[in-house]
Amino acid sequence: MRQQFRDSATRLAGTDERLILLFGDISFYLFNDFLRQYPGRLLNVGICENTLISMAAGMNAAGYHPVVHTIAPFVTERSYEQVKLDLCYNRFGCTIVTCGGSFDYAWDGATHHCYTDLELMRMLPGMEVMQPGSKKEFDTLFTSCYADGNPSYIRIAADEHGLDLPVEFGRGVVVKEHPGADTTVATAGPILGNVVTACSDLPVNILYFPTIKPMDRELLARFGDTRFVVVHDAFGLFEAINASSPVAAEYHGLPDDFCCHYGTLRDIRGKLGLDAAGIRSRVEASIRTGNGYAKTA
Amino acid sequence: MDDLARQIRESILHISHHSGHGHIPTCFSIVEMLCAVYRTMRHDPKNPRWEDRDILILSKGHAALGLYCTLAHLGYFPIEDVYAFGAFGSDFGCHADRFKVPGVELSTGSLGHGIGVAVGMALGFKMSGSTRRVHVIVGDGEANEGTVWEALMVAANMSLGNLTVLFDNNRSQSRCLPIDNPEAKFSAFGFDVSSVDGHDTDAIARALKETSGRPRAIIANTTKGAGCPTLVTDMFAWHRRSPNPAELKTLLGELR
Repeated sequence: MRQQFRDSATRLAGTDERLILLFGDISFYLFNDFLRQYPGRLLNVGICENTLISMAAGMNAAGYHPVVHTIAPFVTERSYEQVKLDLCYNRFGCTIVTCGGSFDYAWDGATHHCYTDLELMRMLPGMEVMQPGSKKEFDTLFTSCYADGNPSYIRIAADEHGLDLPVEFGRGVVVKEHPGADTTVATAGPILGNVVTACSDLPVNILYFPTIKPMDRELLARFGDTRFVVVHDAFGLFEAINASSPVAAEYHGLPDDFCCHYGTLRDIRGKLGLDAAGIRSRVEASIRTGNGYAKTA
Repeated sequence: MDDLARQIRESILHISHHSGHGHIPTCFSIVEMLCAVYRTMRHDPKNPRWEDRDILILSKGHAALGLYCTLAHLGYFPIEDVYAFGAFGSDFGCHADRFKVPGVELSTGSLGHGIGVAVGMALGFKMSGSTRRVHVIVGDGEANEGTVWEALMVAANMSLGNLTVLFDNNRSQSRCLPIDNPEAKFSAFGFDVSSVDGHDTDAIARALKETSGRPRAIIANTTKGAGCPTLVTDMFAWHRRSPNPAELKTLLGELR
C-alpha cells in the first residue's frame, strides 16, 4: 500500500503544483522517482514529528496542500497537540499518511505498536479519519481528501483484505447482507479479510467502514434493528459506531493492556483472538447468547 | 519610551484592570518588538488579509493583550472592543483566535507551537518565490519547550532567510530553566544573530532590516514589566494579576 501512496502522490503532483510531501525520514528511497520528476516537492524534514505537523499548518497557510508521512505512533501520540491545535483548531488542511498502525511492526514490540491513532484522530474536531484496506481504497480516499481543506488522517497498512469493494469517502460498504440476520459485524481496514473468512457461512451481516470519520450514519441506521459486534484491531471504529445513534455495539478487539509480544502481524492477531478462528468464535457466541443489543428509540 | 509604546502600555493596564485578566509584565516585555515589527513589515490595517502582507506570529500566546492593543492602536479595530477581554461572547480572548481578531495570523496559547508554523509559512513563501517575510516572537520561557529547537534546526537547514525570530530575553525562567547566552545558542543552531536592547524600537527596527540567506534571530534583551518599576521589582507576583484602582493609578503614573 506504501507503493500505492507513492503512485497516487506522483499522479496527483502532476496536475496539482500545490501538493507537497513532508517526510519524517521514512520511505524516502521509495520516492526516488517522485523526486526526480518533482524536485523540491518532497522534503525529508527530519525525525521531528511535532515540527512536521506545525510546518504543515504553516505551509497550508502559505497556499500548499501538505502531506505529512511518517510512522503512526510518533506523529499521532507524540504530536497530538500539534495536530489538535496547529491543524484542527487553526483549521489548516493537511493529510497525514502513516504506516506502522496497530501491529504492522509487530516484531518491534510495544514501542512501535499503535492502536490508538484512529481514535485519537477521530476525537479531534474537523478531522477526517480513514483506514483503507487495499491499494485501490487508498488511492480513492487519498485522492478525495488531500486537497479538501480539512486535516485528514490515512493509515497505510502492511497487508490487504483481498476484496474489491466500491469504496468512496464517507461511505460504509455492505459486504454481506444475510436476510433476517439479527447480528451485524462491523469492521475497518485489512482485518476485513479475517472477518469475511470467519463469518462467510454465519447468519450475520458484514459492514465495512474504510472511513471512520465522518461515520456513515445512514448505513448504520439501516441496520439499527440488529445487534452490532465491532471487530477491529485498533480503537476508533467501536467508539465511532457507539457515538452514532441508533446503534450500540459490542467490541471484539484489544484488551486494556500492552501487547508485549514480538513476531508477525499474524502472530499477534492470533494471540488476541483476531484471526479468523477467534473472530468466528466470538461472533458465534454473540449469535448464541444474544449478547449485544440495539438501542431502543 | 515613544508615544505609541506608552499608549499601548496604558491600554494594557486599563483593559487588564477593567477585565480582571492579562499577563501584564510579559505584554510590557514585547511592546517595542511589536512596534518595530509593524513599523517595518508590509501590512494594511484596513485590509488585514492582504495577500502580499508579511506575517507576525505571537508564539508566546499569553501576551495576546499586548498584540490586541498594538493592533488597535495601528487601526485594525477600535480599542474599545478590546475592553471585553476574556469575557464570554468577546472576540478578544486571553489567547487569540485567528478567526475572530483581524491581524492575528495564528491562534496560539500552548507554548512552542507558533515557531513551527512560522517555519512552515516561511518555507511555503520561499518555495513559491514570494518575497513575503515571517516574524515570530518567542519567549525565553517558551524556549524551554523542545519544539522550539526542533523548528530552529529545520529553519536553518532549509536556509529560510525570510524568517526572523524575535527572542524575548526577559529572563523569566531564572527560577527554573534559564536560557543562558541565547546568542550563542541561536548561532550554534545556524542563525544569524543580532543582540539588541529590546526596549529600543529603533534598534529592533534596524535589526529587522538586516537579512541574508539564513534565518535571523534578534535577541531582544528585555525586562518583564518594562516601564513600571512596580512590575519590574515584583515580576513573578504580577505574572498574571490585574491592578486594583489604586494600583492602576500608581502604574499609570509610573508610565509617565
